[in-house]
Amino acid sequence: MTWTCEQTEARLSDYLDGLLDPAEWSAFNQHVNTCEVCAPLVAGVAHTLGGLYALEQVEPPPQLETAILKATVGVVRTKYDFWVWLRGLQSPRFVYSAVSVTATIVLLLTATGFNWRRPKLADLSPATIYRNADSTIHRVYAHSVKFVSDLRVVYEIQQAINENQQQNPGLREETIPQSSPKKEPGRTDNSNPSSPKQQNRANDISKRLEVLACEFPILSGALVDRRMP
Amino acid sequence: MRRHTRRIFNICYRFTGNRTEAEDLTQDVFLRVYRTLPSYRSAHGGFATWATSVTRNLLIDHYRRTKRDRVTDSLDDAMPVVETKESVARRPDEQALLGELSGQVQSALTRLSPELREAVILRDLQQLEYIEIQRVLAVPEGTVKSRINRGRIELARILQQMGVRPS
Repeated sequence: MTWTCEQTEARLSDYLDGLLDPAEWSAFNQHVNTCEVCAPLVAGVAHTLGGLYALEQVEPPPQLETAILKATVGVVRTKYDFWVWLRGLQSPRFVYSAVSVTATIVLLLTATGFNWRRPKLADLSPATIYRNADSTIHRVYAHSVKFVSDLRVVYEIQQAINENQQQNPGLREETIPQSSPKKEPGRTDNSNPSSPKQQNRANDISKRLEVLACEFPILSGALVDRRMP
Repeated sequence: MRRHTRRIFNICYRFTGNRTEAEDLTQDVFLRVYRTLPSYRSAHGGFATWATSVTRNLLIDHYRRTKRDRVTDSLDDAMPVVETKESVARRPDEQALLGELSGQVQSALTRLSPELREAVILRDLQQLEYIEIQRVLAVPEGTVKSRINRGRIELARILQQMGVRPS
């Protein structure tokens, strides 16, 4: 049996894939060996198949898999994303929040009696934190009570003084020196005859000056001149 | 995941002959697979066959969508072999990677009609069985065999036109 060119071409792939039975194989070979058209065709297709089989697998770019995961399941944690995330921590909002949280933790630990100079793991146990916090709270409470009590005592004393002054208004004038607008600058004596206490002091000073004048006659002239210009 | 990515990317790359388009199409394939995953039934073949079928549908859609852009490409088909080799050599990294014959085969592949191209790629590059290709292409086995045979012969003729002759 001899095949035609159409038959040979239609069964060419079966021939190359080894799917022809012996009779077909023989007929195919017989035609190809005698046909000037089919012989180069078979050689060309066989060569093409060799070229197809020689094609190597192309490696996809590394970022393709990440892009696929991002497009399908969402965010993907990779090394690159980690650095992007780390760079995002430099935002002022995060820094402010981190500082606030750190300050709060430091305050809380300090309040619970944590020793920062000699930190111990035992200080972080819940029982120790509770005991220290309880002690600190009681101490602060006692200080507060004492402070309020002291304030109350001071207030009561001040109120008593005010009431006393309101009941005896003349006492304040005697005890507190009054500024006199009529007094001349540099004048030490008080010419007000209604204040006997100051008059007595002036007399006392006058007596002392007289004693000094007796002891040091040289100064007597100057002193007298100064006293009575 | 990596195995399927590699396989689908290779199908897309051999079909389009362009790495960028292959990357975009691979991503689209996985996106469609992810969205239509509830419709997958193992009775219709393995996951790889189903994913390949999705790939094939997307490639055909892409081919039809970009048909207008290939009007200029059809002019290139009539140009001499030297012109074609130069156009292939525009991507030196790909050319170096595939080698001379591989580059020519890849160039010839993109000139095949999409029906013949997909059949040749699935059979001779992805090494699928006829029954798997039948499921992917949703055509009878006789049609699959016919397309593979015609695709190989057409590919050999294109290579012959390009000046590639068997040693």
